[in-house]
Amino acid sequence: MAHHLEASRNSCALHGALQLFEAIDGVVPVIHSTSGCGVQHYLGVTRLSGGNDTFGSPPVSSSNIKQKHVVFGGGSRLREQLKNTVKVVQGDLYAIVTGCSTEMVGDDIPAMAKEGRDQEWPVIYTNTPGFGGDVHHGYHLAVKALIEQLPDIVKSQEKIPSGLINIWGIIPNQDPFWRGNLQEVGRLLEGIGLVPNLLLGSGQNVASWQRVPGALLNLVISPWGEFPARLLEERYATPSITFEGVPVGTAASILLRRLTEQLELDPIRTEAFITREELRLNQQFARLVDTYYRAGFQREFALVGESAQVIGIGEFLVKSFGLLPRTLVITDNPSESIREALDSRLTTILPGYHTDVLFSEDKSEIADVVRAGEPGIILGSSLEHCLALELGVPFLALSFPLFDRIVLERAYAGYRGAAVLLEDLGSAMIAGSKYINEAS
Amino acid sequence: MSPLRAKAPRSREKRLDTLGAWFGPVSIASKEFASDEIAQRIRTFAQSSNDDLLYALRILSGIRNSVTIIHGPRGCAAAGLYHTATGSNTRWVVTNLDERDTIMGADGKLRKSILALYYRYHPSVVFIVGNPVIAINNDDIQSVVEELHEELELPIVPVYVTGFSSQNAVSGYDTALHSLLKYLSGNNASTKKNETINLLSVAEHPLDRKEALNLLALIGLELNIIPDDSTIELFRSAVAAKASIPLCPDASEYLGLILQEKYGVPLIKVSRPVGVKGTGRWLKSIAAFLGKESVTEELHTRKAAETARQLGDFSLKGIKVYISLSSANAFSVLELVEELGGEVNGLTITHLDRLHIPYLDELTTRSPSLQIHVSDGQAFEEVSILRKLSPDLYLGDSTHLGQVARLGIPVISLESFALVGYSGVVRLVRCIKTALANGSYELSLAKVSSPYHEAWFRRSHNWHIKREVK
Ligand code: SF4
Repeated sequence: MAHHLEASRNSCALHGALQLFEAIDGVVPVIHSTSGCGVQHYLGVTRLSGGNDTFGSPPVSSSNIKQKHVVFGGGSRLREQLKNTVKVVQGDLYAIVTGCSTEMVGDDIPAMAKEGRDQEWPVIYTNTPGFGGDVHHGYHLAVKALIEQLPDIVKSQEKIPSGLINIWGIIPNQDPFWRGNLQEVGRLLEGIGLVPNLLLGSGQNVASWQRVPGALLNLVISPWGEFPARLLEERYATPSITFEGVPVGTAASILLRRLTEQLELDPIRTEAFITREELRLNQQFARLVDTYYRAGFQREFALVGESAQVIGIGEFLVKSFGLLPRTLVITDNPSESIREALDSRLTTILPGYHTDVLFSEDKSEIADVVRAGEPGIILGSSLEHCLALELGVPFLALSFPLFDRIVLERAYAGYRGAAVLLEDLGSAMIAGSKYINEAS
Repeated sequence: MSPLRAKAPRSREKRLDTLGAWFGPVSIASKEFASDEIAQRIRTFAQSSNDDLLYALRILSGIRNSVTIIHGPRGCAAAGLYHTATGSNTRWVVTNLDERDTIMGADGKLRKSILALYYRYHPSVVFIVGNPVIAINNDDIQSVVEELHEELELPIVPVYVTGFSSQNAVSGYDTALHSLLKYLSGNNASTKKNETINLLSVAEHPLDRKEALNLLALIGLELNIIPDDSTIELFRSAVAAKASIPLCPDASEYLGLILQEKYGVPLIKVSRPVGVKGTGRWLKSIAAFLGKESVTEELHTRKAAETARQLGDFSLKGIKVYISLSSANAFSVLELVEELGGEVNGLTITHLDRLHIPYLDELTTRSPSLQIHVSDGQAFEEVSILRKLSPDLYLGDSTHLGQVARLGIPVISLESFALVGYSGVVRLVRCIKTALANGSYELSLAKVSSPYHEAWFRRSHNWHIKREVK
C-alpha cells in the first residue's frame, strides 16, 4: 500500500502523458476528464519547470465532464469534444488521455478512438488515470500508445536515414533540462557519424515518431527508457544500449565508445571526436583551478533528483571534480530491481567513503536525511532551497520542481553540459561563500 | 435549519443561476437576468478550466499552522506543489490513492496519514480535501474525521469538493468556507460582540490586504482578517465581529452571507476597492455603517488628491482596453480604466450570475452593446474575440496570456498584482506605461503560428456555447 506523500514531485500518470504529447510538434492532447485535471498539470507541473511552458499550449482541449456524465457516462461528451477539437485545433495527431473520473465511470475509450479513426481522423488514445501511477508511468503509457497505434494511422513512405538512433528516457519538464540535454546527446551522436532521433522538443514531430521502427538502435539514458526499448525490441527486434543516466563529462566518452563498438563504427573518427571534446573540457577545468582552491569548492554535497540526474551529475562531480557525495536522494520511484542496482552503484561511488542513498519523494523525509548529512552544498529541486538556507550552505536548483530559475536551452549533459554545470555550481559556491562571509 | 448542516453548500448555479458560458452584448445579459428562468449553457468544445477543488485549495493554502491532506490520487495535489512554490501557509499532503484503494476504499489510509502528520507537526488544524475519486466512490471521510477529532482533540475539517458537481469553480470557495465556518466558528451566534470588523479576503494578494488594512486603520478600525493568512482562532472571533466587509463581493459572498444569516454579523455590500472612485465608495460604505463619515471623507479627499498628483497628466484616452478577469474584479477594473480615460472594448469574466445584475444594469444604460464573454480558460474563444476587436491593451489573469500576446497585443498580467486602493491605481498606471512604451516582445511572439485552424476564426465566437438540454 502506497504511503502518503508530502509535496510530491511526481504528480500523476495523466500529467506524465501530457508532458510527452505536448513536447511533440503537431500532437494535440485531448483530455477526457474533469476540468481541473488539465489545470493541475499546468500549475503543478509545467509551470514549475523553469520557463518550460509549452508555448501557447495551456489550456488544453478537455471534455470537462460534470455530474451528469459521472452518472450516465461521458462517452458522448468525448465524441463531441473530439469532433470539435479536430475542427478547432490544428494538429497532425490527436491523443486522447483520460483521468480518474472517466476511468471509474468506465467510458469506452478505445471505441471512441476507433470512431474517430473511422472518420479518417488521426486519433490515438491512452488510459491514464492518476490512481494508476505517477508521471513516469504516464510517460510509459504515452510512448506505448505512440509505438503501438501510430503505424496503423499515418503511413509513411519516407526513407529512414541509416544510422538512426532513438533516444529514450528523458521526460519533458520532469527533467527541466530536457531540451538542452537531448540536443547535446544528439550532438554527441552526430560527432561519431550517427543520426539522432530526439523525438521531443522543437522540430520533433509525428514524422520523427514514424521513423522509430526503422532505427538502428535504441539508446536508453534513464531507467524510464528501458520500457520503450523493450517494446521496440519485441515488435521490431531493434537492439538497444542502456546507459543508466544522463552522460555528463567523460561519461560521454564511455557512451560513445560503447556505441562505436556495438555498431562497428569507425573507431578513429570516434577517438578524434572524443579527444577534441575532452581537450576542451580539460581546459575548462584548468581555467577554474584558482577559484576552486581559493573558494574551497571541494566539499561534501547532497544531490536530490531523478535517477538519471543523480547518476550523471553525481558521478561527474565525484569522478572528475573532487567533490564528496554525502547524500544522494533519488526521487523518481524506480522499480525494485533498479533500486538495488542503483543502491550498490551509488553507495560505493567514491571508494573508501560512505554515501547515504535514499529513495523518496516525500519532502520532509528528504529534508531529514539531507540535514543529517550536514553537506557543504545542496543540489536539488527548488523545494530544497529553504533547507540550504536553514543549513547556511550554497544551493543549486537543477531538478524538478524548478521554480526559481529559467531554463530554455541549457544542458548539463555531455561535454558542453559539464562545463555549464561547473559554471552554475561555481557561481552558487561563490555566491554562497560571499553570503556566509557577510553573515559572519 | 442551520445553513451549515449540509456537508457542502448548494452550488452557485443552484443558488444564483451562475453561468460559466455565455457571449453577447451587456444589454441582453441584463435582460436575461431580469427574467426568472435562466438557461444553463454548456460548451461542445472546451479547454481545461479551474474546478471547485482548485479554488478550495487556494483558500486552504492561506490557513496558518495547518496540514492539508488531499485524500485522493497523487495528481490532485499538483496544485499544492504550485502553492508551495508561491508561498503557502499549509503543508500539502496527498494520500496517494492507487487503483486498489479506488475499489476497496481507503479510510484506513486516511486515518494513518492524519495520525502520522499530527504527531510529526502538531498542527492546529487538519483539512481533508475531496476530489473526483473520493466523490465518485462516496468514500466515508466523515467517520474518520469524527473519530480522530475526539481521539486527538484536534479540529479536523473535511472539505467536500468533487471536481465535477458544479459548473463553476467559484463554488469551491463556498465549499471550503462552509467547512471552515462549520468546524471552526462554533455552532451559535456570539452573545458578546467585540469591536472588530471582519475583512473578508479570499485568495487576495498580500499587498492588497495590506493596503486595505492600512486604509481602515486610518479611520480607526480594528480588523479580523479571514480566510487569507488567518488562523483558526480568527474564525472563532469572526462570529463576534461588529460587521463584515469584503475585499471582493464575489469570492467572499458565501462567507459574508453565512456570517450574517447564521451568526448575525451584518454584511456590508460593496464592490471592490479598486480605482480611486471604487476605493472611496468602499471606505464610505463602511464609514456610513459605523458613523465615521467625516474622517473617511477627509481621508478619501486627501488620498485622491495625492493619487492624482502621482498620476500627473497620464491618460488612457484613445486606448482600447480588453479585460479578462474574475467577474467582480473585471467590473471594478472596467471602472478604473474608464476613470483613467480609457475605453473598455470587451470583457471576459469567469462567471456571470445574479450578484452581477447591478453592474449589468448600469453598463446597459451607458454602453449597451459592450460585449461580455463568460469563460474560464476558454482561450480559443478569447483569441477569436481579440482578433476581431484588436484592443491596444489586455489586462488579465488567465493562464493563456501567451496566446494573447502572440496576437501582438500588449499584455499586463494581473494574476498576482496588487490592485486594491489608491496605491493599486498608481501601480497599475506604472505598468500600463511600461507595457505601452515597447511592444517589441509581442512582435517577436507574433512570429509563431496560431494553434487554431483559420476556419475556427470564421465561426461566431459563441459557436460552441449551447443551451443545456435537461
Ligand atoms: S490524479 Fe486523477 S483526478 Fe487528479 S489530476 Fe490526475 S487524473 Fe485528474
